[in-house]
Parts: sequence; C-alpha cells; structure tokens
Amino acid sequence: MKTETHTRIVDIIRKKNGSRPIELIKELGLSPQAIHRHLKSLVASGLIESRGRGPLTRYFIAGKPQLDRARRWQNSAAEPAENPEEFLCRTRDAFTARLPRLASFAEAGLKRDDVPLVVSAAGEVGNNCFDHNLGAWRDVPGCWFEAQATGGRLWICIADRGQGVLRTLARADPALADEQAALTAAFERIISGRAPENRGNGLKFVRSVVGAGENRGLACRSGAGVVDYGRLGPECRAELAGFSEKSEGTITLILWSFA
Amino acid sequence: MKIRLEQYGAILTSRPAGKEAALAMKARLRPAEGETVELDFEGVLAVGPSWLDEVLRSLRADYGRERVVCLPTKNASVAESLKAIDAAR
Repeated sequence: MKTETHTRIVDIIRKKNGSRPIELIKELGLSPQAIHRHLKSLVASGLIESRGRGPLTRYFIAGKPQLDRARRWQNSAAEPAENPEEFLCRTRDAFTARLPRLASFAEAGLKRDDVPLVVSAAGEVGNNCFDHNLGAWRDVPGCWFEAQATGGRLWICIADRGQGVLRTLARADPALADEQAALTAAFERIISGRAPENRGNGLKFVRSVVGAGENRGLACRSGAGVVDYGRLGPECRAELAGFSEKSEGTITLILWSFA
Repeated sequence: MKIRLEQYGAILTSRPAGKEAALAMKARLRPAEGETVELDFEGVLAVGPSWLDEVLRSLRADYGRERVVCLPTKNASVAESLKAIDAAR
C-alpha cells in the first residue's frame, strides 16, 4: 500500500513537473497528514526534493532540472514578456560577474577539483553567445544563465536569442548543409564564425572537458540541430526535447554529477 | 620574470579580457634578454582556452614561444586549456 502510494505520488510529481501537497491531497483523496508522511518518506529516500517554504512548498523529482522559465523564454517566437534579471545576463560583463556563483556549488557537493572545469566550461559556452551575436541579437540581448543543484547533480542552462550556429558558421564554411552539420562542426572542428580572427577552440574545449569524466555531460540545441557529449549527455538531450526546434538561438545544458 | 595572473581576475575565460590582459602585461613587462616570462596561476579559480590563447599568442609573438612558460598548477582548467590550444595549432 505504502509503495503503491509512493509510486502514485512520484508519477503525479513527474507528470506535473512539480506538485504542491494540496494538489496531491485532492488528486489522491488522502488526508493532509498521510500525504505529508508519504512526502517526508520520499524526501528521505532521495526520490523527491522540496523547494519553497510554507504554503508555497512544491515537491520535485530529485536530480531533474526545472527549466520551465528558460523554456518559455527560449521558445517565445516574439520578444519574451518575462526577462528575469536573476537569470538574464544582458552583457558579457554581467555574465562574467555571475560565473563565480558556480563555485558556491562546492558547498552542495560539487568536488572542489571540478570547480575550475565547471566554471571554465560554462564560461566558454556563455562567452560564445556574446562572441557570435554581438550586434545581431534577434530581440533580447544577452544570455540566460541558470544553475541548479538537485539530487547530487548540478545543471547549468545557458541560452540565447541570437542567430543560431548555422548562420554564424556559414560565413566561415558556406558548405555547411544544415543546423545539425553546423552544430557538429562547432563542437568538433576548429572553425569560427569570426574568421579570420584566431578563434574556434572554446567549444572543442568544452566537449573535451565533459568527455574526460564519467560524471559529466552536455547537450546543445540550435534550431533543428542537437548534439550531446559525455556519459550524461543523453540525459541533457532528453531535457532539451521541450525546447522548440523553431527557436533560432542556442540552448546548452551541462550536467555535472557530484558522485 | 613572473606574472601573477590573479591580478587579472579570478576567472579568466573570454577573448576580449585575454586581449586586454595581454596588452596590460606587455605595457609593464621588461624582461632581460633571454629571461623567461612565467605565468603563475596561483589564486586563479578558472581559466578558459579563449583567454589563455589570447595571452599566449600575444606574449609569444613578442618574446618567442620558448621564453613564455606556464608554471605548474593543480588547476585542471589550465591543463585542459593548454591541451585545447595546442590541438588548435
């Protein structure tokens, strides 16, 4: 009985991408005391996590990122109505100033020796947004930069509403057939949309870093193109499924397990 | 002579910042003939290949590849960045 109720609670939380206790009470027809007992047990087992306080408390599947706001921002065809300053870095300086926050995840369990790699990988991805879209943003300038620790893992989401990888790299290699080819080239070849400047090693570095350990992965979408690298790359790719392939900018997810 | 990179920031990742840092370094550097220029990463949190490429390219253009040396460090982002820069050459 207990296992069955646990399974139903986890299913609801997963389907709704987060749930409040009151919703579970209504849906399962159990008493508040019983629901809170089950939730407490599920939190203790590490399957779910609570966020928020008091009546605003919501429960989420542990280890999964909450990307609703980033998804809405990135998927919006017109200029997004919501541009939260806590996530949006309108300038490179703003992005650089927020990078040190990643070091604070060492207190949540990120290995200290991994901190430089996490920061530099995120730095290269974010800087890439500015390198290739400066003066050519579709509407909102800058990049979305969000990091979440959940279930012993760090998720980093970096997105932009720029030109996308194909338009950027087609200047350097007009033979690139489509977005998939352009994205693969961006991560695997020394090529830069700012040729003849000497650039183009940043994303190769990021790919190398996430491929150098079992506890890492990344996925990147640009239009209809998607790539993933590292052992945890497929998990990142699955999370990108909710981001529209009609969106013209780029979105990168980096996943770093604390284990 | 030694350059303490922490003077240029704890996080050294972007090309514009690397270019600016290289210009600032060269304005102050006066190495004796044959003296090596040593980059000291002590106190730096993270380095990226974009920043480091700009600095190394600029310093090596003036002083030669052999005279510009990255001092050993346990910071993994330095080794990974150097690997990426060498692979691109």
